[in-house]
Amino acid sequence: MFDHPRWTITKRELGSLSREKTIVLAICIQLFIAAFSSFLVVGLTSLYDPGSVDGGADIEVGVPGDVEENLIRAGQEVDGVTIRRVASNDDALELFERGQLDAVVSTASSPVGGGTQVQVEAVVPAEDLRTTVIVVSVRELLSELERLERVERVDYLDEAPVQIPEDVGSSSYFGFTYTILLPLLLFLPAFISGSIVVDSITEEIEQGTLELLRVSPLSLVDIVDGKAAGMVAIAPIQAGLWMVLLRLNGTGIENVGVLLVFVAAMTLITVVVGTMLGLLTGQRRQAQLLYSLLAVLLFGGTIALPEHPASTVALLAVDSATGTTLAHVAGFTVLGIGLYACVRWYVGRVDVESL
Amino acid sequence: MRPRKLLRIARWEVTKNAGGIDRRTVGIALVALALFGLVVPFIISGDTGLDDGLYRVSVDEESPYYDVVDSEGAFVIREGGERAVSRSEVELYIGDGEIVYAESRKGIAAYGQLQSAVSRYNNRQLRQELNQTAAFPVSVVLEYRQQSALGDGLRLGGDSGGTDDSDDEDGSTGQTDGSDGGESGESDGSEAGDTSTDQPDDGEPDGPATDRETTTDTGGSGGPIGGFGASFTEDSISGSPSDINPPFPFQSLVLAFLVIIPMNFLIQAYGSTILSERTNRRGELLLVSPVSRFDIIGGKTLPYFVGGMAVEVAIIAGLFVLVNGQLGGPVSVLAVMPLVLLFLGATFLGAMFARSFKELTFVTVTITVTLTSYAFVPAIFTDVGAVALISPLTLLVRELQGEAISLAEFVFSTTPPLLCAGVFFGLGAGLYREEDMFDQRSLRGRVLDALVGPIPVRGKPGGFTARLNGLLPVDVTPLRQYLAVGGLTAALIPFVFVVQLLAIALLFALGEISVVLILVVVAVVEELAKSLHIYAGYTHRRFASGRRRAVLLGVASGVGFFLGEKIALLAQLVGLPDLAVGEAGLQGGIIPGPPVLTVLLFLLAPLALHVVTAGISAVGASRSKRAYVVAVGTAMLVHLAYNLTVVVSVV
Repeated sequence: MFDHPRWTITKRELGSLSREKTIVLAICIQLFIAAFSSFLVVGLTSLYDPGSVDGGADIEVGVPGDVEENLIRAGQEVDGVTIRRVASNDDALELFERGQLDAVVSTASSPVGGGTQVQVEAVVPAEDLRTTVIVVSVRELLSELERLERVERVDYLDEAPVQIPEDVGSSSYFGFTYTILLPLLLFLPAFISGSIVVDSITEEIEQGTLELLRVSPLSLVDIVDGKAAGMVAIAPIQAGLWMVLLRLNGTGIENVGVLLVFVAAMTLITVVVGTMLGLLTGQRRQAQLLYSLLAVLLFGGTIALPEHPASTVALLAVDSATGTTLAHVAGFTVLGIGLYACVRWYVGRVDVESL
Repeated sequence: MRPRKLLRIARWEVTKNAGGIDRRTVGIALVALALFGLVVPFIISGDTGLDDGLYRVSVDEESPYYDVVDSEGAFVIREGGERAVSRSEVELYIGDGEIVYAESRKGIAAYGQLQSAVSRYNNRQLRQELNQTAAFPVSVVLEYRQQSALGDGLRLGGDSGGTDDSDDEDGSTGQTDGSDGGESGESDGSEAGDTSTDQPDDGEPDGPATDRETTTDTGGSGGPIGGFGASFTEDSISGSPSDINPPFPFQSLVLAFLVIIPMNFLIQAYGSTILSERTNRRGELLLVSPVSRFDIIGGKTLPYFVGGMAVEVAIIAGLFVLVNGQLGGPVSVLAVMPLVLLFLGATFLGAMFARSFKELTFVTVTITVTLTSYAFVPAIFTDVGAVALISPLTLLVRELQGEAISLAEFVFSTTPPLLCAGVFFGLGAGLYREEDMFDQRSLRGRVLDALVGPIPVRGKPGGFTARLNGLLPVDVTPLRQYLAVGGLTAALIPFVFVVQLLAIALLFALGEISVVLILVVVAVVEELAKSLHIYAGYTHRRFASGRRRAVLLGVASGVGFFLGEKIALLAQLVGLPDLAVGEAGLQGGIIPGPPVLTVLLFLLAPLALHVVTAGISAVGASRSKRAYVVAVGTAMLVHLAYNLTVVVSVV
């Protein structure tokens, strides 16, 4: 089976990638993206989740004058916040401006409508590395105050609020890893494969080497087959490599087989788009421009599906897949194969001399 | 460079090459862009539902949590009860007064999701209550205030924003003055409307704020993603405690992203046009014509630069109209210009390196990814002062928010990319010669070719210093070579500076460890910048052999680096060294204050360091490839050790 000359084309395509070491560059890019996203998420979460900042982020909050007793109680409930009582508002603000307090929270009761409301005024630093941490801590403190105040007024409510479950220290990396990072890593190889097909075909046409290939006992269909096969093959390999790396890193991934099929189907679609654009325009500049536009558009357009492909990947990887998920995988696979059959039919009818 | 010839080449580029993109292509591209425009609102609204059905939950119908789980997209309800958890068919079981979660990362994540879902659900329910005072017993006004007066230099931008006067602080509710419309804040989309109607007497500045409250409604998701303009961080925020969101200008980022995306299409076309000059020796005709290569490069780049800027100006103007309701953004346009040049410069150099279109594709993707993160990552920390200013996009975001921009900030933000673009164009222009353009060298070989370009060869004319040869009785080529090596090192500094800034932006949030990581990046990048061209010179046999020569080359490179490094003083303008990581990353170029004795020490120590490490690498480079690798590794270690000592003793 592998005697057919089209496999020679495949080998040549893959060979040129490894010779030019471009595939190394591609993997470097992906590594960079992965590193970059994880740095980003670690950075952001440490800013948003004060507990994860080292040293436990001890925020000192100044509370001037007479205060609600509930605020003091809330301060004891919330971790990482120390309440410091200050005589007057002016004193507190002075301490704040000298950087000895991280925030100033003053309260006053005022009658509103039928009852009273606690008016809180919080002052936080404007431009500081710790602003985010301080704001989050102040929010926690005030939410606790709100909860305590609500408990006292529960009789006036038609429906008591649902109790918030106890904290068990969950992290927010989980959702990000599966819904953003993993799809990014799996779809990027597919996108790049389509792009290489565009280059490969337009290069043959522009440099005139397609004529030479035509002299060999190969039909245009064989040439396209060979090029497509190589590119469809490398995307799942890269994707598989990523999943192995993620697993080594402690991120469990289920349904690896189905995911690889899904990536292959996606790649088939991008390769079909790339091939068609390459053959229709015959020029690299136009074909690449249209390819990147169409790829972005198609990916954006999938938002109309009941399940976004990124969702499909996430659901498969965390083993929450439903019938809909599998139907999407099957649908994309059928679509890819169908489109490829169309391309073969088109290529078989195209007049090579006109390229 | 002669403007007339340059313009003629530019006209050819537009009529011949851009004309090559036929009407059909333009038509399809426009349709695609229009369709993409239809999708964008979905993406911006944040309702992509990527995590829909991620966690499976089994919950009793009677449980108070049933409605919570039912209303949360990330949850899907399954049958099964408690036993399903142990069979890992569901992640959470919520029964009568107990919540069981699977002992896995997924189970814990599902539990965390439940917590946030409950608070969201409560807030939604409570908003329906008749007695709003009991439902939201706490009303908060959050005010951002400068802790100490830092760097109020020359102000460029709008004066409407800025920080508040501290006087109006004494009032009972502590409102900011209404003129800046700050009250609308983050809560607009979700519930500022509710709270303000319930508390008519708490002194909300209704006048200016109501105009802005006509923005979109997020359906009470309470997240950081609201309608246009609603969540730009203002000087103060009011609402219930759950409305408080940390300053995270998500939308400004989405908007800024709109500025970056067109660049990627632009460099596709630009890269193609440069590379197509090199395939089939097509560019030879232009090369033999009586124009300089700078005319050719300038002429070929000009249309893309002008086109790119036109698109950017249109986008920026559109953004300002959309967000602020009026035209604006002169500072933004100036801030985006270096970015456009940087994209073009990097692509030009990449197209000079690439052997084939395939290789060019990878090079372009690399450029896209790297430069997008350079422009993007620091801008995320827009409210974290100096780090954000590493990216020029921050200037755009700030101007959009009506904040003032000082001249020092502008210079700090835009100079490095501008200089970097210059380095890229310069190195690429060095390759724009007949002997380099058309041969098929590997990427690595081409990098070395580009670096060796400016180094003079014995007995070959070129450059103004070559004229000295005829005047002086001795051969001054070695002297010129030292100058060229030192100068080249100094020319590479902007690039080094940008890489270090990017590293700071990426790593600063990691805490303590980030200082060490940044020092590693610094050592690697600086040593490469000091030695790579020396190695390139030796591979091209530009330098006479001998250890003495090698050491002198190292000294020249080290001195060049020491002088050029003073660009880091720019960082002092905006107070970046106040951050520990900033200080660690840039300490070589920063002159600390008195006492006088230490000043001398601090000046001489980095000089000695750079000379010594560059000398080590240069001696290695003069021997062989392997010796160079070993030597440059040693130099990096020495550099790292020095940096660690300095940082430990100073910070």
